[in-house]
Amino acid sequence: MLPDGAPEVIETVRAVLRDVLGISAERAAAFREETPLFGALPELDSMAVAGVLTELEDRLGILIEDDDVDGDTLETFGALTRFAQAKALG
Amino acid sequence: MIGHFDWAGGREAMLRLGPDAGAVVIVALPAFEEANRTRTFAVTVMRALATGGIGSVLPDLPGTNDSLMRTEDATLAGWRAAFAAAARATGARWSVAIRSGALIDAEAELAGRWQLAPQDGAGLCRELDRLRQAGSGASDDTVEIAGNRVSGALLDELRPAVPSTARVVRLASDAQPADLKLDGPPLWRRAEPDNDPGFAAVLARDIAAWIGG
Repeated sequence: MLPDGAPEVIETVRAVLRDVLGISAERAAAFREETPLFGALPELDSMAVAGVLTELEDRLGILIEDDDVDGDTLETFGALTRFAQAKALG
Repeated sequence: MIGHFDWAGGREAMLRLGPDAGAVVIVALPAFEEANRTRTFAVTVMRALATGGIGSVLPDLPGTNDSLMRTEDATLAGWRAAFAAAARATGARWSVAIRSGALIDAEAELAGRWQLAPQDGAGLCRELDRLRQAGSGASDDTVEIAGNRVSGALLDELRPAVPSTARVVRLASDAQPADLKLDGPPLWRRAEPDNDPGFAAVLARDIAAWIGG
């Protein structure tokens, strides 16, 4: 079943970050709109970014072109969820 | 127990667990970095199978793990031939493949195939392209992807490859179709290798029931 609403997409993004980065459910649950990601989470290096994007594709049934992603896409949890929502929900 | 098997291109090591008599499954790890991330987990599944009386083998493919072949000399044809030879040598009749390991069992003579979150060649190559851009980049005919030197020829072989027909198990979080969906972590994504013995036991039960059925 594909996530079909904004709250589901947010929880999918949260679960992807938890699973790819191997961080605790408590830590992932504490992510808010303004929580900084890239540059702030030591686990989120450039390789992990590739894993996050690919796992988002699998779970949301979307395709992410490299041109779609820029330095701001993973700046905060809110930026990443807005990006995922735009892709998944159109 | 570490053993060896011979194939047309040489000799490779393999890990063998469980009883000598009875059913034997042969395990295919994913290609490249995901192999490192899933090896411990795969061996945990093998130990769980052994507890249930099912033997298993995990062959090194040419150019991977302890193989003497250089990684950049590896080919998909070589992996498939070596995997088929290992299955023949050990009497393995069932394959258990994780992710892109599902691309490797094509030539083995098997009674059945079981796949966890199988990934086709197109998906694998798209992911490798993304990793390559995240990393250092290319040289002449080989590219370096997350520390693996990979030949362009191997990527050309992998790109159109698709998994054989199999019993497909996927994670509940995965949107793609499957015969069975289970709650579990995508260990192949973890930056640091991790394990989940509870999930391994669940998978081993499904594999044992599938072989028995």
